[in-house]
Amino acid sequence: MPKVKKKRVGFVIDMTPLVDITFLLLTFFMFTAKFKSEAEAEQKFFIERPLASADTSKLPEQDLAIVKIAFPDSTKQDTSYFYEMTNETDWVAVKSGIEGLTPEQMQGAQLQVSIETLEALIKRTYVVNSETSMAIDADKSIRFKWVSDAMEVLSTNKFTKFNYVTKKR
Amino acid sequence: MAGGGSLGGGGRSKRGKSSKRKAKKRVGFVLDMTPLVDITFLLLTFFMFTTTMATPQVMEMKVPPEIDVPVEVKESQLLSILIDDEGNLYYFRAQEEAEELKMKDLRNLAIKENLNQINDLIIVLKVSDNVDYGTVVEALDELNLAEAGIVDEMRVNRNQPNFERKRKFTIADFTDDDREKIGITVPETGGSE
Repeated sequence: MPKVKKKRVGFVIDMTPLVDITFLLLTFFMFTAKFKSEAEAEQKFFIERPLASADTSKLPEQDLAIVKIAFPDSTKQDTSYFYEMTNETDWVAVKSGIEGLTPEQMQGAQLQVSIETLEALIKRTYVVNSETSMAIDADKSIRFKWVSDAMEVLSTNKFTKFNYVTKKR
Repeated sequence: MAGGGSLGGGGRSKRGKSSKRKAKKRVGFVLDMTPLVDITFLLLTFFMFTTTMATPQVMEMKVPPEIDVPVEVKESQLLSILIDDEGNLYYFRAQEEAEELKMKDLRNLAIKENLNQINDLIIVLKVSDNVDYGTVVEALDELNLAEAGIVDEMRVNRNQPNFERKRKFTIADFTDDDREKIGITVPETGGSE
C-alpha cells in the first residue's frame, strides 16, 4: 500500500504579537512627533536654544509672535532677526501695514528683517492685536547685544512682558 | 515493475480527479482581533492622558515700561552682578569693590544677600553686549532658582509661613565705570552703547 500523504494546507502564524508591537510603535511615534509650523518649514537655520532648568510654563500657542535671532547660515558669521506670528489673520494684517515688502515676503510665514523693520512690525502688531504674546527665540551663542536691542524695541512698544524660549536642562 | 507503472498512472489520474474535486477550498485564515484592539486602545488612551505635546519651555521676562522719571533707590540696597565679554561674573554691593564670582555660587550669593535685606534688595544684572546670550540665560536661571531658596528659607526655617516675596530685579547697561571696576581698560573711542 502506498503511503497516503497528508496534504499541507499552508501554515498559520499568530499575527497578534506582531500587530501589537506595530501599534505600540505607531502610537509612540505618533505622540512624540512634533508638527512643524509653516514658518518652521520655511526656516533654513537651526536655533540652539540656551539651557534653563525645568519650568512648568510653556510657550502659548495662540496669538504668539516670535522674534527669532539666529545665524542664517552654518558659518555663524552673520546674525539676523526673523519675525513670525501664529495667528494667520493678524499676520496678514500686520504685513499689509508695512511698506516695502516684496510680494514674496508678503506670502512668507517668516520674515528676515532688520532691526528697523522689526520695530515697524512690532509697532504694527500692537495696533492689530495688543493681546499678542511675545517670545524671543535666540541662539545661545549669539552676542547679547542682539537680544538687548530686541528687548528694547519690545519694551518701548508696550510689550513689557515676554518669554525667552529655552531648552530644558 | 508493474506497480511502479500503475502508481505513475494512478498519480496522473489522481491529479486529474483532485482538480475536479476542488470542493474543500481554503477560506483564508481567521485572526482574532479582540486582544489587538484591546491593547491598542489601552495604549492610545494612556498616551492621550499622559503626554503633553512637545512645546518648548519658556522663561518669562518682565521689563519695566519706559518712564522718564528716575526712580530713587538707596545705594545700600543694590547688589550689582556683572557679566563681562568672556562670560566671567563679578559682583559688588553698593559702590564697593568688585569681586569675582563663579556661576555655581551665584544662586547662594543671591539667597544670602536677599536674606540680609528681605524684600528690599535690588539685584542689578549688568551684561556686556559681547557676551553669549546663553550665559545670560544661565545667570537669569540661577537667579530664578534663588527665589525658591529664599521663600523656602523664610517659610520653613524662619517660621514665617505667610511670607510674601517681592522680587526686585533689573537688567542694566554695562557701563565704562563697570569695566574699570573689574579692571578692563576702556578703549578710548569705543565704549558701550
